[in-house]
Amino acid sequence: MDTVADKQKREDSLNGVGCSRKRKEDARFIQGKGNYTDDIKMPGMLFADMVRSPYAHARIISINTEKALALPGVHAVLTAADLKPLNLHWMPTLAGDVQAVLADEKVHFQYQEVALVVADDRYIAADAIDLVEVEYEELPVLVDPHKAMTAEAPILREDLVGKMEGAHSTRKHDNHIFNWQAGEKDATDRVFDAAEVTVSQDMVYHRVHPCPLETCGCVASMDKINGKLTVYLTSQAPHVVRTVVSMLSGLPESSVRIVSPDIGGGFGNKVGIYPGYVASIVASIVLGVPVKWVEDRMENISTTAFARDYHMRGELAADSNGIIKALRVNVLADHGAFDSCADPSKFPAGFMHICTGSYDIPVAHLNVDGVYTNKAPGGVSYRCSFRVTEAVYVIERTMDVLAQKLGIDKAEIRRRNFVKKEQFPYTTCLGFELDSGDYHTALEKVLDAVDYKGLRREQEEKRANGELMGIGLVTFTEVVGAGPSKSCDILGVGMFDSAEIRVHPTGSVMARMGTITQGQGHQTTYAQIIASELGITSDEIAIEEGDTDTSPYGLGTYGSRSTPVGGAATAVAARKIKAKAKKIAAHLLEVSEDDLEWEVDRFKVKGVPGQEKTMKDIAWAAYNNVPEGMEPGLEAVDYYDPPNFTFPFGAYLCVVDIDKDTGVTDIRRFYALDDCGTRINPMIIDGQIHGGLTEGYAVAMGQEMPYDEEGNLLGNTLMDYFLPTFVETPKWETDYTVTPSPHHPIGAKGVAESPHVGSIPTFTSAMVDAFAHLDVTHMDMPHNAYRVWKQIKALGLLDN
Amino acid sequence: MKVDLNKEFSLPGTGVQAWTFLQDIRGVASCMPGAEITEDLGDGNYKGKVKAKIGPATMAFNGDIIIQNIDAEKRELHMIGKGQDTKGSSSATMDLRAWVEDTEDGKSVLQGVATVTVNGKAASLGGRMMTQVADQMLNQFGKSFANNVASMGEGEEAEMARDKIAEQPAELNGLAFAWSVFVGWFGSLFSSKK
Repeated sequence: MDTVADKQKREDSLNGVGCSRKRKEDARFIQGKGNYTDDIKMPGMLFADMVRSPYAHARIISINTEKALALPGVHAVLTAADLKPLNLHWMPTLAGDVQAVLADEKVHFQYQEVALVVADDRYIAADAIDLVEVEYEELPVLVDPHKAMTAEAPILREDLVGKMEGAHSTRKHDNHIFNWQAGEKDATDRVFDAAEVTVSQDMVYHRVHPCPLETCGCVASMDKINGKLTVYLTSQAPHVVRTVVSMLSGLPESSVRIVSPDIGGGFGNKVGIYPGYVASIVASIVLGVPVKWVEDRMENISTTAFARDYHMRGELAADSNGIIKALRVNVLADHGAFDSCADPSKFPAGFMHICTGSYDIPVAHLNVDGVYTNKAPGGVSYRCSFRVTEAVYVIERTMDVLAQKLGIDKAEIRRRNFVKKEQFPYTTCLGFELDSGDYHTALEKVLDAVDYKGLRREQEEKRANGELMGIGLVTFTEVVGAGPSKSCDILGVGMFDSAEIRVHPTGSVMARMGTITQGQGHQTTYAQIIASELGITSDEIAIEEGDTDTSPYGLGTYGSRSTPVGGAATAVAARKIKAKAKKIAAHLLEVSEDDLEWEVDRFKVKGVPGQEKTMKDIAWAAYNNVPEGMEPGLEAVDYYDPPNFTFPFGAYLCVVDIDKDTGVTDIRRFYALDDCGTRINPMIIDGQIHGGLTEGYAVAMGQEMPYDEEGNLLGNTLMDYFLPTFVETPKWETDYTVTPSPHHPIGAKGVAESPHVGSIPTFTSAMVDAFAHLDVTHMDMPHNAYRVWKQIKALGLLDN
Repeated sequence: MKVDLNKEFSLPGTGVQAWTFLQDIRGVASCMPGAEITEDLGDGNYKGKVKAKIGPATMAFNGDIIIQNIDAEKRELHMIGKGQDTKGSSSATMDLRAWVEDTEDGKSVLQGVATVTVNGKAASLGGRMMTQVADQMLNQFGKSFANNVASMGEGEEAEMARDKIAEQPAELNGLAFAWSVFVGWFGSLFSSKK
């Protein structure tokens, strides 16, 4: 039987690329059978808890551990003094700075790690931390980044005083971390000086936290008999952790095993290496037993990796038709007390230079200054690729301001400035080569779907009645898939990723990758890629990640890099297997390779019906009947160094109604069109987009980490920190176009972060739009009811 | 986290009586439920402690009290209290100026201006209630102070005041205190001050 229907049936049975295969992971998750770090139990395991600083800036006069050590069940209390002989009281950060593991002489932010207590159980440890007596002398606190480089500012990092050569540039002040620029300053300034129209908008991208449901933690286990250290850890980059642990501990990398078990969400929070991990590892090495440390919610929000805190000014120069002539962006970046951003080494401001957006901008200049303040360190990519959220926010907000000034509709001004379909690949004036795009089609599809003109008419009527209705629009371009090793590395390791695929004699498959799933559904989607490449049903393909003893070295999962890099490695490794399979098939069928053609799951001899070998036949033969001179077996490894980034894009539209008396906002409609190139699993894409939009909604409408003047964090519990549930979350409408990446083996671009990156400025755009007729050009996030109400009050719109 | 408070308490005694009592640091400290002076270090420096139970949380602060100035002419006391809770997770500072003014009816008022700064977990967790909590603590202080001034006199009123002082709880009463905080907060919703 060799009909079209048969071929289709075989194709369908693969559950390959393009089908909405059900997630392999869900069976265990929905039954509560996941295996998270805190589920790990080991014989003799002890528990750690952290003594933390109540002050944002203070000198440590003394630490008295006697009472804590006297509590029955307490095994050890580690302080900086204990780590000093091992030279582990400070550790290097991914950003070229150092960070205190346990506070050494000074605390630099509230909740900073001061001492680690190790006890028989979690409860004794918690009691014991209350018994550690720390005497502090309070110091002046620096909270406002705008005051960091003034003459009066207290100097935070005494360890860096006088060291004016920073990791990325010369430092201008003891509280200065780096200056980073892209583009041409003079040429940009000249265009601005001569421009017909210019606009300038200040905006604060406030400090937020990824707040994954599972907090960070680890179980460190030093086996003194065989000299092997095993650490179960909530890490988005287990291989990088292994390298760092090896470098810090002096253990050979082969004696360090890092395992990332199931992870309850990462969103950038689990990329870095935290003091708790290092202190727990030291405790296990010292005590010779496993030590578990898991953060509570307050510790997670307060200390492990915040995101954003970018104080930005966006400026555009244009002609009177709204055609952009130049872009200027200035950023003051608050990095907290230590620079522990997780960016590729050469990019201290991440990929902020994607701030030219989807637009054909002739010249631009970007200037970023990073400063220290008495706040927790971090600056991670919260569901985005290295500062892309900030970049998209500044360009999209400034585009709206320009449209408003010129009286041009915000859809029209985007249309006029888009990079056109035929211009791809397009090199931006700040140096990215956008791989592919079709921005006009995406925008028009959204405008048609929502009846944009109708919405504007409705808005006119509502305004006439004194009602507040806003329409937000964003057309974003993201840069993901870091990245080409010629420009991207972490601690000197190129940002490739890897896949190792083994086809068993019976034709089932075991594949391992250097990435690690945290909810993305890798066990489902990687199998689909292999299924389509090799003609083996995805149900017989097992995917394993996260154990550095078994999986090939990879840089991990963040910045939407799994599909662009790991997915590419998977496809290329599968193709290596397919190439060998073809040779075996030719041998079995006694024809030349050139006489063979591939069809779904088999090689066929061209023009000879019935002469064919399925991949299952070939797999069996690979272990008993290979051509002379060929080694048996059927497996391949690929380390994929991407030639370029990928550039997913989208057009988002949001309609809001604002209650004039209370400031309460109703998100009436949110329409999200994404183009992530080839779509591997549409159901998972929809899920990712729903999740990303919801986190975008959280950031734009409620999440914030407010500090008072003394450096106290006032929003570190879920009483204050906004984590939307189904109750608050609006309804999402999703749509798509498909513009494959020309350089990716299967044309896929990555999608998980686009909805977060794209939605946040869309909410602000809608909120501002509701007040645009009253000459409001910008409102800083979060747009919670109180802040919106204050805006309403300031405009004198309240009835009484 | 900083809160500025201005308070005025009518006192049932004369200005002279009130001023006499205001200079008795141990007596003044005892007006704060749960507070006591544990050590006199001389030169206007004292060690003291405050224990408060609010809802499920017990907080015990150990700290120093420093008398910055006693101005007999203005009848004004300036003191600074600094404390750290015994768990090391929070700290509080109060800078207080209190003075006595005579009133036309021959009695007096106690005026107080205080800046309270709270750091650590107490600020993170209790920040939103801090104004109310500090306000209520001062209200209890004010009542107790008034009783003490009244007790310096003679007659039935002074007798009653002495009884009240004797009945005063040794530490801040959690439930009643939480209730008064709530009432204070609820009241502030309808006040036009903000």
